[in-house]
Amino acid sequence: MNIQAIGERSELLRTMRSWFADNDYLEVSTPILSTHLIPEPTIANFATQYISEFHGSRELYLVPSPEVHMKRIIAETKRNIYQFSHCFRNREQIGSYHNPEFTMLEYYTVGADDEDSIAITEELVVRTALAGTPESVLPPFRRMTVAEACKRYAQFDLDTTQSVAALRKEATRLGLSVPAQPESWEETFNRIFLNFVEPNLPQDRPLVLCEYPKQIVCLAKEIPGRPYRRRWELYAGGIELANCYDEERDKAKVEAYYREQYAILANQRSVSGEVIPDIDTRFPEIFDASFPQCSGVAMGIDRLLMLQGRHKTIGDLILFNVSDMMADG
Amino acid sequence: MIKAGQIDKGTALLIKGQPFICVEREFVNPGKGSAFVRLKLKSPATGQTLRETMKSQDNAEDITVEDRDCQYLYNDGENFHFMMTETYEQIEIPMTSFEDYQFIMKEGETYRVTFWEHQPLDIQVPAKVIFEVAEAEEAVKGDTVTGATKNVTTETGLVVRVPIFIKQGERILVNTETKEYLERVNK
Repeated sequence: MNIQAIGERSELLRTMRSWFADNDYLEVSTPILSTHLIPEPTIANFATQYISEFHGSRELYLVPSPEVHMKRIIAETKRNIYQFSHCFRNREQIGSYHNPEFTMLEYYTVGADDEDSIAITEELVVRTALAGTPESVLPPFRRMTVAEACKRYAQFDLDTTQSVAALRKEATRLGLSVPAQPESWEETFNRIFLNFVEPNLPQDRPLVLCEYPKQIVCLAKEIPGRPYRRRWELYAGGIELANCYDEERDKAKVEAYYREQYAILANQRSVSGEVIPDIDTRFPEIFDASFPQCSGVAMGIDRLLMLQGRHKTIGDLILFNVSDMMADG
Repeated sequence: MIKAGQIDKGTALLIKGQPFICVEREFVNPGKGSAFVRLKLKSPATGQTLRETMKSQDNAEDITVEDRDCQYLYNDGENFHFMMTETYEQIEIPMTSFEDYQFIMKEGETYRVTFWEHQPLDIQVPAKVIFEVAEAEEAVKGDTVTGATKNVTTETGLVVRVPIFIKQGERILVNTETKEYLERVNK
């Protein structure tokens, strides 16, 4: 057991809580065991059975993120909120930077957009960094759009490779073998991104990689007239540390997201036999005219601690991680 | 054929006709996207390193390999020399493919070596090994800070950071992958 890591986690959470309190954020606590989940086809879920002689039995799920419950709180309070939440992702393979259960910090700032969230995150990180945090994890953050990164590291123009065929041609030019069976634009994009772009991103400072392709469907707003979304990911030390959306609050668009993503999820999982969670079809109703403009950031706390404390893996930071428990039988 | 997601450390693959061993594997889910696996592969024959990121569902060509007991004799700065314990046949394995192994393997000890069609691909060293401390600095007097450490050198020449109470001649358990001290071994 890494005693030093226990102290580091305690210290970071204490200073972060104090920073959020000073900056007018409410700490909230939402369930990790839920009756409904957000439909996210690429995130496999954990299900368990609630048993009651009086209420009948019912499938419940461990949340992959606290997003939907937190947005319900924003709808009611119109306040800045944050939470340290345990999150669960099944099929998440166990490795240096992954554990099926991990700690996520999620914070939503009312009235802010994705651009404001960069400054907020810089402030949060610099004010709460542990002593001895390397410069590569400290502000100022560099900024680069995904299109700039593609041009620089994979020599192609993302604006003009919006079709599956055009992107596939670039992948082939780069020497990637794309399987014969048709692949979605997003899958081919990820192949190029992971082989040529991500490994070459600068690591001397944290990097905000912004304007993600709109084909990567999520609840971040689309940029009008351009094929991108108001979303950024923070990279530090070459790994994904945080994800930010300018939150979609158009009810019709959230409804469409729920309908389409649930159809994809149910279709894939009826073949694979994996858990198909119930979804809350009434969730989009919270996005009426009074739902405030807001920007949300989700940050991997175990990874942040790993980088700040110069640990090699998150294994030291997640006590009793699944990998260790399985090794012990 | 196997799925890329099943490739593990030590899996042998044939890539463009050449055998490679997987030495590092990390899973990535880009921006909550579908699962990919990032591999670092080594060709033991040439020492060449290959980095490749594949979808977990992609196919990869695995090869059937065989493990044999081999006694480690010595290294000449370029190659490790082993003797196969069944046939007494001597083999050489380029050191460049196995960074730091000269500081981990002990002369005279037997290791499992992975072969593909008579070609040695991999040397398996235990995840945890007991070493004897051959050289240790004296702890600085008055240095009573909790968690204070110093460097020691093992009988194989491996430098390990240990707590200051470890003395020359004592035995320590070391993680051979991270080269980190785990615990003192009592006789």
